[in-house]
Amino acid sequence: MAPAQAAHVNLSPAELSFLRSSLSQTPPIRLDNTKGPRDFRSMRAEYDVLPGANGSARIALEDGTEALVGVKAEVEKSRWRPAAGQQESMLTVATGDVMMRDDNEEEDESKGKGQNAWIEMSVEIPGFRDDDPLPVFLAAMLTESLLASGALKDRLYINRRFHWKLYVDVLLLSPPLSYPLALLSMTAHLALLTSRLPALKSEKDEDPLFDDDWDASVPLYPKTGKSTSIAQADKPPVIILAMAVGPNIIFDPCKEELAVADAVLAIACANATSSTTGARIVSIRTIDPPSHLTPPGIPNSMNSATGGTVPASSAEALTQRELLADTGVWTPPRGGMKRDLISQIVKMAVETGGVAEEVIGALQAIEVG
Amino acid sequence: MEYFSLKRSSVADGGAPNLSSKVYVRSTKSGKVQKIVRELYLRQDIPCSSNLCRACLQIAPTDYSKKVAPFVLSDTPAGSKNFPNGQYLVPDTNAFLTGMDLFEVETAFHDVIVLQTVLEEVKNRSLPLYHRLIALTKNEGKRFYVFFNEFRQETHVAREAGETINDRNDRAVRKAVQWYNQHIKQAISARSRKQTRVPSVVMITDDRDNLRKAKAEQIPAITLVDFVTGLENANELLDMISAAQDQREVRSRKTEVFYPEYYSISKMMTGVKAGTMHQGIFNVSPYNYLEGSVHVPAFDKSLLILGRENGNRAVSGDVVVVEVLPQDQWKAPSTKIIEEETLNKNDNPDVEDGENIVSERERKALQEEVKRAHGQSSEGRPQPTARVVGIAKRNWRQYVGHIDRDSVRSTSKSSRQQQMVFLVPMDKRIPKIRIRTRQAGELVGQRILATIDSWERDSRYPVGHFVRSLGELESKGAETEALLLEWDVQYKPFPKTVLDCLPTEGHDWKVPASLNDPGWSGRKDLRDLLVCSIDPPGCVDIDDALHARKLPNGNFEVGVHIADVSHFVKPNNAMDKEASQRGTTVYLVDKRIDMLPMLLGTDLCSLKPYVERYAFSVLWEITPDADIVSSQFTKSVIRSREAFSYEQAQIRIDDNSQQDDLTAGMRTLLMLSKKLKQKRYDAGALNLASPEVKVQTESETSDPVDVQTKKLLDTNSLVEEFMLLANISVAAKNYEAFPQMALLRRHGAPPKTNFEELGNQLKVKKGLELRTDSSKALADSLDTCVDPKEPFFNTLVRIMATRCMMSAEYFCAGTQAYPEFRHYGLASEIYTHFTSPIRRYADLEAHRQLAAAIDYEPLDASLQSKGKLEGVCKNINVRHRNAQMAGRASIEYYVGQALKGKDIQEEGFIMKIFSNGFVVFVPRFGVESLIRLRDLATPEPEADFDAENYMLKIKGDVGRTVELFEKVMVRITDEVEKTTGKRKVRLTLV
Repeated sequence: MAPAQAAHVNLSPAELSFLRSSLSQTPPIRLDNTKGPRDFRSMRAEYDVLPGANGSARIALEDGTEALVGVKAEVEKSRWRPAAGQQESMLTVATGDVMMRDDNEEEDESKGKGQNAWIEMSVEIPGFRDDDPLPVFLAAMLTESLLASGALKDRLYINRRFHWKLYVDVLLLSPPLSYPLALLSMTAHLALLTSRLPALKSEKDEDPLFDDDWDASVPLYPKTGKSTSIAQADKPPVIILAMAVGPNIIFDPCKEELAVADAVLAIACANATSSTTGARIVSIRTIDPPSHLTPPGIPNSMNSATGGTVPASSAEALTQRELLADTGVWTPPRGGMKRDLISQIVKMAVETGGVAEEVIGALQAIEVG
Repeated sequence: MEYFSLKRSSVADGGAPNLSSKVYVRSTKSGKVQKIVRELYLRQDIPCSSNLCRACLQIAPTDYSKKVAPFVLSDTPAGSKNFPNGQYLVPDTNAFLTGMDLFEVETAFHDVIVLQTVLEEVKNRSLPLYHRLIALTKNEGKRFYVFFNEFRQETHVAREAGETINDRNDRAVRKAVQWYNQHIKQAISARSRKQTRVPSVVMITDDRDNLRKAKAEQIPAITLVDFVTGLENANELLDMISAAQDQREVRSRKTEVFYPEYYSISKMMTGVKAGTMHQGIFNVSPYNYLEGSVHVPAFDKSLLILGRENGNRAVSGDVVVVEVLPQDQWKAPSTKIIEEETLNKNDNPDVEDGENIVSERERKALQEEVKRAHGQSSEGRPQPTARVVGIAKRNWRQYVGHIDRDSVRSTSKSSRQQQMVFLVPMDKRIPKIRIRTRQAGELVGQRILATIDSWERDSRYPVGHFVRSLGELESKGAETEALLLEWDVQYKPFPKTVLDCLPTEGHDWKVPASLNDPGWSGRKDLRDLLVCSIDPPGCVDIDDALHARKLPNGNFEVGVHIADVSHFVKPNNAMDKEASQRGTTVYLVDKRIDMLPMLLGTDLCSLKPYVERYAFSVLWEITPDADIVSSQFTKSVIRSREAFSYEQAQIRIDDNSQQDDLTAGMRTLLMLSKKLKQKRYDAGALNLASPEVKVQTESETSDPVDVQTKKLLDTNSLVEEFMLLANISVAAKNYEAFPQMALLRRHGAPPKTNFEELGNQLKVKKGLELRTDSSKALADSLDTCVDPKEPFFNTLVRIMATRCMMSAEYFCAGTQAYPEFRHYGLASEIYTHFTSPIRRYADLEAHRQLAAAIDYEPLDASLQSKGKLEGVCKNINVRHRNAQMAGRASIEYYVGQALKGKDIQEEGFIMKIFSNGFVVFVPRFGVESLIRLRDLATPEPEADFDAENYMLKIKGDVGRTVELFEKVMVRITDEVEKTTGKRKVRLTLV
């Protein structure tokens, strides 16, 4: 369960109640009534904005939230760690096993050799310290999704002695007007998608030497080509935010909509590797809806100032409050998410023609077009 | 929704027309890899610099004095067959790389536009060529103009998607040529309607694709060869085109490969870092051209590189990367003389078919080596061997040599047929160079300057090209120039910029009469002191003068006065730069190549007698026991009373009738110097010997008439002692003031292994022990190395011991720890050079530092940067060594000339023994020469070589035994050495 955002919504219980009931209608009426439940807020995106970085992107949402991501790669020496297999090969140097091993390695030399520490993510949000929970949590979520597929870190492998270290610097340029996870994720996605690494000229375990022509550099995420003809080219994951209100599932909620969510889910999706359509999940997290943090209202019956009696214990207060739930006044929802609700949301995200495919496709189109 | 992009707009995306950028990857030494983006601000005020153009004169940027830099390109450029209206040449990068020697020719190639694109590419490809090109652009007569086409808006070219860098650069060159043509046309029509002679701007390129595109775009273009063919002395000029280019075309046909391929740079770098490979300078033994050695930090002794294949196309002087061979292939260093000439006489420079990399005879020679390695001699212990796996840096230069007569097919002078010939370099360590020439007939018998262009895997010898002819072999002019070129001595006259730095008064310059003159501020008036100078006879650049007088307290005041060169040579002006380049004055037998212009060296700075001169003085108070009480440094004005030669001074001192104060002072100096010398020897200073001879020449023709060994007088060491004392005092003072920046001189203690062989030789042959634990021990044991029957033996040992030493070097104090400052030979903790600023740049720098240390003037910025000072040290170390070598080579040449046609018998000593020859040293002439067994009799007599006892038993008719240190009578005649074309003395046993 992730902590909620810090931007408070200044809505009265009555307003919240109204918002919630319109969102739970069928079809739901969103705050921006021109949008359906699956519609994203409109955005402007551009990439390669930072000339000195290996890759960069900037996305601005219509509400003024704006994020900038720079990806920088540095060559780093790998620490030699004796793995069980390696130890063995060192002992059997003379037997010829090594030769065979080497042959196998030719095909997929870097497979499984990447390490999590090779990717470093930092998130900066104006008004927050870098050890505040929100940036730390956002960074953890973004890193987790990046590492989950495993393909990226393997791509950072240069040889047994060197690797690329990837610094992904995520910067929110505006105050966090809405929960910025999805925006940051999309910006990072675009930046990574357009990142390039200098082309390697040296071979095997030599000290790496690179082509000094930037035009010869290779994309971090290879474009669809010969080697990936069967499976589709790998692309960085993107996190999609979805919330449930009553029976309805709404994607890309704005700040006010989030305030009345029953449950919020962050789904990190990457493109499907087996087919050209649909998407796959790399990680998933629930997010504490802000409503959980709203201090519960005190009914008149429990407020001594209005002539009520103060409950003797907190347990009594809770039962008292439960009893009030049906009286029409909106109260923040309690408890977790239902299993079939989760599966429903996930399905909507990853199915063929689903939200994830749409988002990934749209971001891809920015680069191509 | 409003939207602003964060990107900067530039030419590429149709935005700002004056902004562009270029992107590249930079790998730093520490292993970082960075993407670098450079923004380019395009401008329109870069002039075309043609004197035909008035428009550019209006817009060209002005300097601080509101003047436009004078335009370079002539308004009436020379024409040629194809371009009768005159032409401006725009060579592309390859034209410069292959034809740099052509562009340097004085008679052709004027009005050349060097594009920035080309200049940068040349810089990336070859730094030496880049420096030569820069020198050309500074040469006013050649009219080379650097046009910054990348910065000019009209000629800037952005790289297109998918375009290679080369293609883009070619396009940039074409674009610039196109613009220039239009621009010149406009300029002329703006000037006058009548003028119809419009010069063409012609691109010179050998790239076929580029030529084709130029033709399509109607840009005048021509190949270098075609252009040169149209010139007057085309045959000579065509020979000067680098052979690297056409070699490449020929290569495709060949399949045979002689040499292994080099490792990739990254593989070598990894290997060197990991310690599995080593990097060092490749040196070839002067006795055996098949044996090279590389000194690497990881090993005490140098790694041996045996045979051509292991040498893998490295040329002596290259920085190479080597791999140590397995232990079973280790070998002992050679005891045999192997000369290229004798083994490979019959090579044909044209035909390479059927040729092995190691010829059969070479293999045999090597084989004998291996056999010897298995013998058990302490000297011949197997040493690690290695093979060259790659070249870190080529240090190819221009080589002087002569054409191998046997390799020339037709010597007819009228034949203009191109043929391949061998150039045999004067330096025996350099392999023969294959040269293609059309003028073989004329070049035979001449000293020739050539360069190496390439050495491909399928060629046994490197390929090069002719640069110029120096003149007839053995003619004095050609030989002197040859040795100056060989030792890289800058001998051209000083350029005007340097002469402009001289005082305007010229020879009339005088020490200002008024003491209020700024020249006097901070200077002590020492004109009353009885100062005199003692130098070799005929010396005109008098650096130093001395005085001594008794003080009332019984002590002596001694002063060393050094020419105040730093007053005239200010840091960083053209003269200073030239001097720092030259580093030292070079003394040849008949010639002196000055570091500073004559006016300063022989007049204004020189401490001539009877005139007032600025000086930098070191004054000591010294007790009668030669202990120093105090020392003081000051700028001063002195008036030398007399300039003595060593001999005159000696006579004056010895003449008891002379009782004037000046002579008394000299006697004091002599007395003190003897005590100082004794102290120095007590501290462990070495008395080393080197064979020094003097060539007497006829004054008019400077033809050598006689050779003498130099005599040493007491007065020699008088001057020497006080110079040493001054140097040591100044070194201490400078170090105290600038612990990081002081320029000092050190002489490292030689590693013990250096003396191993000499020690063993002495033990075996003479039963003497050589102790080398410290310089004191060495000095003492050298004193005991005497042979009562042979007075010269001690000198011989000293000469040989000197050769085991390290060479002294200049360094910057901050780069070494204090214990490393030590001067081994002088047994001094700290040392510098201060006393000869007229002829050594190091002394000049020491003067500047001392002047700052005594608060006379502030320290110049150039002396505050460690990097710069280290660069200066590196250069002067090289120059110093080269000057010594050139001086020795000059003596060698003159000794050869002096003995020309003579036939003398002299006594000599055997210095070194090989299995098929030995080296004899003749003290009378200071010459050292090899006597091969095959010189003794034909056919070559058999001989038993006893390496452990250093004996060679010659069998057959000669029937005698020679051993190390033996005194032998030799017959001296002269001959022209076939391999080098030098006239040398030839020794035979009597």
